[in-house]
Amino acid sequence: KSISELARLTASAIQVLCSLERSPEVVNMASSDMLFNVDNGYLEGLVRGFRGGILAQTDYLNLTQCETLEDLKLHLQSTDYGNFLQNEAGPLTVAVVDDKLREKLVTEFTYFRNHSLPPLSQFFDFITYGYMIDNIILLITGTLHNRSISELLPKCHPLGQFEELGSLGIAQTAKDLYNAVLVDTPLALFFQECVSEQDLDELHIEIIRNTLYKAYLEAFFEFCQSIGGSTADMMLPILQFEADRRAFNITINSFGTELGKDDRAKLFPRCGRLYPDGLSRLAKADDYEQVRQVAECYAEYAQLFDGAGTGPGEKTLEDRFFEYEVKLNMNAFMNQFHFGVFYAYVKLKEQECRNIVWISECIAQQNRSKIDNYVPIF
Amino acid sequence: MGSLFRSEEMNLAQLYLQSDSAYHCLGELGELGLVQFRDLNPDVNAFNRRYVNEVRRCDEMERRLRYLNKEIAKADLKVLEDAEEPDVPLPSDMLELEGQFEKLEAEIREINSNQERLNRNCLELTELKHIIRQTVNFFAEAEQAFTAGVHFSMGEEAALLEDARNHGSQLGFMAGVISRERIQAFERVMWRACRGNVFMRHEPIDVELTDPVSGEPIDKNVFIIFHQGDQLRSRVRKICDGFRATIYPCPETAAERREILMGVSTRIEDLSTILSQTSDHRYRVLHAIGQNIRGWSTKVAKMKAIYHTLNLFDVDVAQQCLVGECWCPLADLDSIQYALQTGHERSGSSVQPILHLMKTPLNPPTYNKV
Repeated sequence: KSISELARLTASAIQVLCSLERSPEVVNMASSDMLFNVDNGYLEGLVRGFRGGILAQTDYLNLTQCETLEDLKLHLQSTDYGNFLQNEAGPLTVAVVDDKLREKLVTEFTYFRNHSLPPLSQFFDFITYGYMIDNIILLITGTLHNRSISELLPKCHPLGQFEELGSLGIAQTAKDLYNAVLVDTPLALFFQECVSEQDLDELHIEIIRNTLYKAYLEAFFEFCQSIGGSTADMMLPILQFEADRRAFNITINSFGTELGKDDRAKLFPRCGRLYPDGLSRLAKADDYEQVRQVAECYAEYAQLFDGAGTGPGEKTLEDRFFEYEVKLNMNAFMNQFHFGVFYAYVKLKEQECRNIVWISECIAQQNRSKIDNYVPIF
Repeated sequence: MGSLFRSEEMNLAQLYLQSDSAYHCLGELGELGLVQFRDLNPDVNAFNRRYVNEVRRCDEMERRLRYLNKEIAKADLKVLEDAEEPDVPLPSDMLELEGQFEKLEAEIREINSNQERLNRNCLELTELKHIIRQTVNFFAEAEQAFTAGVHFSMGEEAALLEDARNHGSQLGFMAGVISRERIQAFERVMWRACRGNVFMRHEPIDVELTDPVSGEPIDKNVFIIFHQGDQLRSRVRKICDGFRATIYPCPETAAERREILMGVSTRIEDLSTILSQTSDHRYRVLHAIGQNIRGWSTKVAKMKAIYHTLNLFDVDVAQQCLVGECWCPLADLDSIQYALQTGHERSGSSVQPILHLMKTPLNPPTYNKV
């Protein structure tokens, strides 16, 4: 009798678990501790393995001592990159190194994406939207300068590819762009605010880029919020910093251009910590000093603006932003059972590519004065 | 002494070699396979070591051999295993081997690029043939429907055909080929961008086509687009460029079409004969390479290993002598000494290599003699 009792209890327990799996509240629970590994454990293990292969400070020290790009290739053979440049015939150039580095990251990302289940697959798609926006702007700007599509397509980032990308050359206005091409892509949702009859020129393209990116960031922010749990805890600060960084950059870059203050205010993403007070003050700022004063009210940002400048021995503001981003991304690995590790890995690998390309450029041009301007990761 | 459960007794030995004879002695020791060298330069970067240039040259040779191996595999040739392993090559052989590989690689690359060009031409002609056939079909169907006056969808085409004949330059059409996976998005974008003002028809090509670059089979569709006016024409052309569809000039009248079809067929035949000759030549060249490639790979591998090991040695200040440390089994000391002696004689240098055992507190590696 007790065995049948046990069997019935087990059956009902399984039933409860199965019904839990279907219920919407459990999406939150599934992405945090208990059931995370069922769908995503393999990929998290894999990404942590990859994270172990990110170049450390000793690697960068060795790389800066290289005399030629061949030395660089020899040293990279002993890292996780292995023989990635093995089959390249002819003299090595920085462009080849850059391409191969990116190819490796794209292969890894595609593997992750192909093996993921929702909601992780949606998360990966969100990461690719950023690259899609960059590609679209690249193509439109190129077409504006009368470059041919076949010349521009190889320059697009492979993670941001979508089928209709090639036909962006036909668009004359933003409305055209939307109706003809983008309406079938996932970016259609972000384009709602950009649709206008104005002809595409330099300023307008920048406005489109920033409006698209704003909509994308806010959508990504909401998505992470809806997942909840550790993912939200880890991703939200990263996305908030991204939003604030864009707000600062837009403000600083708009000094001396035709962009009016109202237009500028419309481009700020609202999901950062600067919203609403900081953003309204930034919208009214007229020069760098006022921007700095806005940053003073927020502890971390005050630190970033402190001592940033273009003089020798000083880091530029952009470098400081990169450093802070790297710090946030590294922190993502300190917690388990969340999607932030994947985002952080992609961003850290990108930073690593930028570092290696910077060092290669300094070596190739024999100008070693600024070779230490990379952002160390570990 | 040693058994399968216990290691052989190992000793740390110091090896003094003169620079001339170092390569040959190490070659002999390599053939024996009884010693393990310690790295005496752990702080030195990989690219600062003494023999790094030689290692790089071996790397380059290996890259060429890998390329040739890949080409042989693509041609479905079997590579012969050599009956016996080739000996360690002399350092002076490196130049000769390098020259040989460079020549072979250049030859194969040239043959490949020629073949690719011919394949591309052939593909274009085949596509053109299919396009002309399909347009002949389209127009024939339209004619039929026009005279019969029955089918509605055919009637659209018939009406367009009438327009094309009456208005001449106003209604134009464009024919081309696009890969099958892109046809859906292509149709949609075409419809949206031209606001439904173009008429498009597409048919799959049944014959299997091969991509000239990668050699893989690809599926393509033929499409024909009717449009009116210059603006739409440039728009259609831009979209075709964006989707990497190839447009072919298609003649208007049926007589021209027949003519071109015949011309295309003869050209395809000519090209096929040239192509078969090229692939024969390529097969023969690769076959000749395949006879020797295993031997070459082994030689290069041995050379690279020797230079790697030489990099582990400590270079004496006077640049005359290389000092190395290695673990060797006590029982085989005689054969090791004999190998060193052979290497020294082969190199014809004046100074004898010296092997002397050292006492050390380090843990020896495990060696089980099988």
